[in-house]
Amino acid sequence: MRPAVGIAVVAMTLLTASPRDLSAQDSQFGIRGLGTPGRWESVRARSSGGAFAPFDALSPLMEAPLADISTLTATAAGGTSHRDAQLGDTITQLRATRFPLMGVAGRVAPRLVVAGGFTTYLDRSWDVTLRDSTVLRGELERYRDEITSDGSVGDIRLAAASRLSRRLAIGAGIHILAGSTRMTAERRFDDSTFHAVGQVAEVRYDGFGVSGSVLIGVAPGLTIAGWARADNRLRAQVGDSTIALTDLPRMAGAGLLLAPSPRVRFAGSAAWRSWSNAGPGAFDTWSWSAGAEFGSGRMPIRLGVRGGQLPFGPGTKAPTEFAASAGTGRAFAQGRALIDLGVERLERRGGILTERVWTVLVGLTVRP
Amino acid sequence: MTRRRLALVGAVLLAAACVERLTAPGHCPDFCPSGQITVVDTLLTTSINRDSAYRGYVVSYQSPVMLAAFLPDTTGTLDGRPIFRFNGFGPRLPISSVDTGQILGADSARLQLYIVRRDTATHNLRLQFYRLPTTIDTTTTFDAVAAPFTNAPVRPTVNVDTLLAQPGGKDPVTGDSVVVDTVNHRWLLSLKFDTAAARYVGTDSGAVAYGIRIAADTLASIAFGKGSVGPVLQWYLRVDSLGMPVARKPGILGTTLANFVFTPPTAPLDSTLAVGGVPSARSLLRVAFPKFIRDSSQIIRGTLFLVPAVAARGAPADSFVMEARTVLADFGRKSPIDARLDDPIVIHPGSTDTIKIEVTNMLQLWAADTTHPTVFLLRPQAEAQYFGEIHFYPSKAALRPTLQITYVKQFPFGVP
Repeated sequence: MRPAVGIAVVAMTLLTASPRDLSAQDSQFGIRGLGTPGRWESVRARSSGGAFAPFDALSPLMEAPLADISTLTATAAGGTSHRDAQLGDTITQLRATRFPLMGVAGRVAPRLVVAGGFTTYLDRSWDVTLRDSTVLRGELERYRDEITSDGSVGDIRLAAASRLSRRLAIGAGIHILAGSTRMTAERRFDDSTFHAVGQVAEVRYDGFGVSGSVLIGVAPGLTIAGWARADNRLRAQVGDSTIALTDLPRMAGAGLLLAPSPRVRFAGSAAWRSWSNAGPGAFDTWSWSAGAEFGSGRMPIRLGVRGGQLPFGPGTKAPTEFAASAGTGRAFAQGRALIDLGVERLERRGGILTERVWTVLVGLTVRP
Repeated sequence: MTRRRLALVGAVLLAAACVERLTAPGHCPDFCPSGQITVVDTLLTTSINRDSAYRGYVVSYQSPVMLAAFLPDTTGTLDGRPIFRFNGFGPRLPISSVDTGQILGADSARLQLYIVRRDTATHNLRLQFYRLPTTIDTTTTFDAVAAPFTNAPVRPTVNVDTLLAQPGGKDPVTGDSVVVDTVNHRWLLSLKFDTAAARYVGTDSGAVAYGIRIAADTLASIAFGKGSVGPVLQWYLRVDSLGMPVARKPGILGTTLANFVFTPPTAPLDSTLAVGGVPSARSLLRVAFPKFIRDSSQIIRGTLFLVPAVAARGAPADSFVMEARTVLADFGRKSPIDARLDDPIVIHPGSTDTIKIEVTNMLQLWAADTTHPTVFLLRPQAEAQYFGEIHFYPSKAALRPTLQITYVKQFPFGVP
């Protein structure tokens, strides 16, 4: 009991140490566009490739699974990623720690569960350096630029779900998109007679979206899920000025859960997102995942793969990604505290850029 | 076993909390932000207006040095002569705690002088001392003391180079000596004046005044110190004590006047922008600072271009530093100077090259504080300490002052 409490405290401390960094995996592919879309999955779902996300009450992808929550439940997730970004022959090693998920859900009526929380909608943290030269006053002047963005757009979700029958659960949610990035642009000339430039701005973002989902028990051990979501636009403001209004995608997805026995579960899912609404350089994306969970109770084993496309990238084709993941979990304190651990290996490709990422994930769920 | 697992979990959690490293080289345009830093360079040819020059800020007797020069030129000879006066002790001097005795005269005196600036290329530097009327004051002009300078020198000419060549810098014959202060880069001359040269006239309060002319093989231009490094005089007097002359060495005297006179006199100001000279001149340049630069950009370099109307005047070796400053308020010739920022440049006499002064700091100040007057003030860094003077074309001339500004536009933050 005591070690469990200790781990819970340490995990909670780490997961809440920097609430500013509420974002998911960064990617160089997101620099040119709106950012890197977040993964709306708990550590449990993500450890199995994301395949279980449509059926996981703690993943903010769908609302309908919330209907099966019986007690007040809070969850949070964190992860650190080690990323090798290979541009041509140049490999840069990058590292980031993110806390992409936090939520709480509870039953408020016999057939009604409500939930609130936030997850990352778009990650906008990056730091780019550039060495170049320009002709100024008739001389070739060499300089170094550094442009940074630190922050994200969060998805604050208020959701409700109800199990209408033993086979049918539905859910709906509203999404308030809010966040900010602190952006800096610096230039330093080699020739010190040109002073260094440093500009800073706080860019605020807002948007709105709605979503709905359904969970249907087709047969014992076989469940299908469907979801849809529409977001209006992302408004970027600096001070009182609106800098940009960017249309956000509509999206839909479906999943299939097969549980031949209580100790073996298989799932698969797919989703489509109309990111091309965001303008030039953006692409509609498809993504898929497949995963399995073996065992139940104290320490299940989770495995999964996923693949798909990224919405922003150079050229005329969307960058692609493929990942394999594994994980486990452990219940403590008579099931009142759960820790999920996962590891993911991800590869993204697009143009001359290849990213290879190792991500270690930690999730904490508490049922007081 | 459980503890080991828990330790493993803890280690994983700690790994998850490690620091960030997000900096990566950009590959543009594919993997760079859509916005870029945009640099603009512009030459403002008509932004400097309503300029004016003023003279008289520091006059010769206020200068911390006494200038001495003898520089023949095709257009005339620049001749600068230090003049200084020592008040005496009066007709009587204490010979005991209760008695005084009449001063009968001086056996000798020793004059100490600091040469605080000199040209290392000067050879055979010679000093000649002349007795001047004790009535000299701050208004004394070159012409007013021209006659005494035509008399014979009061003592033999001092050849500084010869004195330096003596062992220990001491001339056993004349009793003169020189000490080279390598730390402060100055020479201390200690010169012996004999009875004839150091004439103490007690009935005339014992005051004496001297003037110095210098000469050299070339480039005769030096500066003598004033104040704490100014001339001092040690008298060796004979005083009457009950009919017996006794020797007395009273305290050292400092000058009561230390000035210099020169010819040709400074020309009156014309339509050009004058900087330097004696009395010192300053020029004000008022700038119409463009709003589009002030309000929405960041200045990274600003250069003020000034074209000399004539070659800079002055002793060839006496390059002087001109500084551009700004003012706290524009009150014309009485504008208070903003002491926070200055941008200096060295002016070489004889040169007609266009002067370029980097004024980035001041332009940045104007952009940051829109209430600040957008005025450049040009003045010599050491006013009235050099004969050097430069004249620039004013804003009404074709070769008017111009300002080149390099600035960065506002970065398009937030644009996807």
